[in-house]
Amino acid sequence: MHKRALGAVAVTGVAALALSACGGSSPTTPSNTAAGTAKATTTGVPETPTGTAAPVRDANVDLVIWTDADRSAAVQKYADQFAAENGVTVKVQISTDTRQQFKDATKVGKGPDVIVGAHDWLGELVQNSTVAPVNLASDVAAKFLPKAIDATKFNGQSYGVPYAVENIGLMYNKDLVPNPPKTMDELVATGEKLVKEGKAKQVLSQFVSKVGNAYFAYPYLSAFEGGGIFGLNAQGGYDPNKVIVDSAGSVKGGDVLAELGKKKVLSTNVDDTNQDALFDTKAAPFMISGPWSVAKAKEAGINYGIAPLPSLTGGGPMKPFLGVQMFYVSSKAKNAALAQEFVTNYIPRKDVQLALFEVGKRPPALKEAYDQVAATDPDVKAWYEAGVDGAPMPNIPAMNSVWGPFGQATADIIAGKAGAQERLAAAAKEIEANIAKG
Amino acid sequence: MTKPIALAIKWVLIAAAVVGAFVIATKLAEAGNTLAVVLAGMVGLGILAIYATRRGVPLKYLAPGVLLMILFQLWPVVYTANLSFTNYGDGHLYSKEESVTDIVAQSVREVPGAPRYKMSVAVKERASVETADLILLLTDPAGATFVGDTSGLKPLAPEGVTKAPSGKILTAPGYTLLTARQVNARSADLSKIAVPTSDGGGIKPVGLSEAFEGKPTMSYDAATDRITDSSTTPPTVYAPADARWTNVANPSQTLPQGWKEGVGLANYTRIFTDSTLREGFVSIFLWNLFFAIFSVLSTFLLGMLIALLFNDPRLRFKGVYRSLLILPYALPIFVTALVWKGMFNQDYGIINQLTGLNVDWLGTDLGAKTAILLTNLWLGFPYMFIVCTGALQSIPQDVREAATIDGANAFRTLRSIIMPLLLVAVGPLLLASFAFNFNNFGLIFLLTKGGPFNGADTSIGSSDLLITYAYRLAFSGSAPNYGFAAAVSVIIFIIVALMSIPGFRRTKALEEIN
Repeated sequence: MHKRALGAVAVTGVAALALSACGGSSPTTPSNTAAGTAKATTTGVPETPTGTAAPVRDANVDLVIWTDADRSAAVQKYADQFAAENGVTVKVQISTDTRQQFKDATKVGKGPDVIVGAHDWLGELVQNSTVAPVNLASDVAAKFLPKAIDATKFNGQSYGVPYAVENIGLMYNKDLVPNPPKTMDELVATGEKLVKEGKAKQVLSQFVSKVGNAYFAYPYLSAFEGGGIFGLNAQGGYDPNKVIVDSAGSVKGGDVLAELGKKKVLSTNVDDTNQDALFDTKAAPFMISGPWSVAKAKEAGINYGIAPLPSLTGGGPMKPFLGVQMFYVSSKAKNAALAQEFVTNYIPRKDVQLALFEVGKRPPALKEAYDQVAATDPDVKAWYEAGVDGAPMPNIPAMNSVWGPFGQATADIIAGKAGAQERLAAAAKEIEANIAKG
Repeated sequence: MTKPIALAIKWVLIAAAVVGAFVIATKLAEAGNTLAVVLAGMVGLGILAIYATRRGVPLKYLAPGVLLMILFQLWPVVYTANLSFTNYGDGHLYSKEESVTDIVAQSVREVPGAPRYKMSVAVKERASVETADLILLLTDPAGATFVGDTSGLKPLAPEGVTKAPSGKILTAPGYTLLTARQVNARSADLSKIAVPTSDGGGIKPVGLSEAFEGKPTMSYDAATDRITDSSTTPPTVYAPADARWTNVANPSQTLPQGWKEGVGLANYTRIFTDSTLREGFVSIFLWNLFFAIFSVLSTFLLGMLIALLFNDPRLRFKGVYRSLLILPYALPIFVTALVWKGMFNQDYGIINQLTGLNVDWLGTDLGAKTAILLTNLWLGFPYMFIVCTGALQSIPQDVREAATIDGANAFRTLRSIIMPLLLVAVGPLLLASFAFNFNNFGLIFLLTKGGPFNGADTSIGSSDLLITYAYRLAFSGSAPNYGFAAAVSVIIFIIVALMSIPGFRRTKALEEIN
């Protein structure tokens, strides 16, 4: 028996070792990469990670950039150009979870110099002293969409250079619906008619899920005067001390959610796993989603159109959150001068913005680049117009306290478990308590 | 094996272990962790002392196990316990001094209307580019050239100066210009440069070729321990409170950067005084206990039954069946749990479609719990099947034959002979399985996220385990609070440990059968 027990311990010990080997970062053969990069100024292909581990910073390179896999090729191209022009070496590494891996690696002094990420990480990154201010000349900043520039600011300080904006809109099946509806009532009427005729199974596909989705529910609140998540402070930024999810406007939005839930237009059974499939199999003629859904719809051969979100009766048009993709410079960058140079001088270039557009298909943040793309790509123009009224997603850390309680509240309202007024009031209380916890 | 070969192998292994300890120590030294270097050195010496000499024979057997236990069991526990007495978490990662430096450095704003310069970085001619004081060669928008250093801005005579089309100075007599790589190598010095201007600001570089005039809006007074923000009227004063810089006039407003500090037992007091925790704890604990016990029993029974079935010598193609049955175990839970989630969907899931039911599996308390138990049964039985198969094959045939000769029927043999012998082998594994399922975070998080949530309270879900609950408790605030999470982990650790003690006593009793 003792032998057996010892064997079991040995097995679990080995398993623990194997696990830690997977979880830990396996170093890339340093001798090879060092020799390769020291000679050539271009590194060619982005370094792909092993598993989900954070990339290992290469100490022999003059500038290290972390990005996700999608953007890596475009970033690599201009990083190479930058390297050749300045006689330095640049390495682009793919990070599977840039937000967390950047925070963790920077904490122990092994982070990259530049990262590519979303603007709503900003508050958290500033809070942890991981990003440095990026001082863009005012004439350069004026070339960008003002909302994109606003999104890169926290407490009035600017922390990066934007390259794309994204937001949700209404996707509709042109074969079933020739013209997009302007109002939600019209949308529901059209959809219900199609269901009755047997041409569709349900009216709308929108990500709700059992725990709710604050990002997709927010536009219902913002359609009404005074509805939303956070009020604004004197400087025009979001104020974590002003939670307005239970304001009169927000409650009106909640009532719409309740009504649509009752009509089965919105359902907690639709979530990220089936949202696209419902639209792509023509089960639903309408879908509220973002640019990430386009590729799948194209692949499924859907004749889709993109339109702004409809307006709600008694309020105005639903206004989505704007997400801005941007380049950050690490506050602990080992190559701060090159990092600042790359971000302030390269990213605002039109050709760079166009190349980044090609990989992400999100409207570019540089006006000049957007105009050129919008002239030939109707999708981009449509996404941009769907987001014209939108406000940037809050980048304050307090937003972390909102997703859970607010999302669940909207799911409960849609499922008919609680009335909008009391449920949103309870959510507001919970959010405030979470923020107070700090 | 002949003695010289054995000796050679022994010494190669000892040398490898010592070299390993040395490599680890070097890495730790690079990271500047003195205490850990000493410990790694002591481990290396210990290996030498234990295995290179003839003394301490029992230690030769004990040392590897003890070492691994310290490394993988004790160290994480100590580290977690240590963390639970701090406020470590987002916004509280660094020291107070670092927070002050960061706040002041990040508050530099461009002076409105000030010119933006084109910049080259240089040193005095014949001075070392690696160490000499850096000098900024600046061109203002009108094309006038300047020399800037820590003493201030002086005009640079245009004679002999060549400029790029952008206005950036390329050569200047008396100065050596640095290349991009040379500038970059001195990033740290460059970030400290601020050429003082007459209005109290400083000209600071941006990247390699631009400079702007900026002014910090925050200032720190060490004597009073206050940070003052001069960008507001009147200036806002921040004082340290609760490991954050807090606005004296309006305590709800704090600066984002806080610092790490010891908080004593505060995290533990919060656990025991938090009202939602007190109310939710009992129901979560009972469900957690039920979940773990039911998971272990159901997977064990199913796994054992199949193992008994497949252990029959008359069955053909056993290899094929066995490989197929191991599949659920071999697939990653991240995939299978999500597939099950899809199958349990009320409107589109295959389970409701096949059975003709309309059960809201993931949206009701009972449905969610049933879904979780079913999924865990499917995920867990292959493991039990493997261990039972192994254990059954080690039960000698003659014991069974003896039972048959004594007139025992199949059920009696199973109950009195096979089961006790089987339990000796798998008993400890059942305990391990219990501990694992007690903290089965992945399954709950992927399948229900702890939901459904009732009564307008998203802090307690009806399918929550203690661990998923603790996760939400610690991370539902504005910022992940690792210190608090560590305190909750310590409490869970104590609970699991206390519950395991009777279990281990019981396995000891089983051992006596052997």
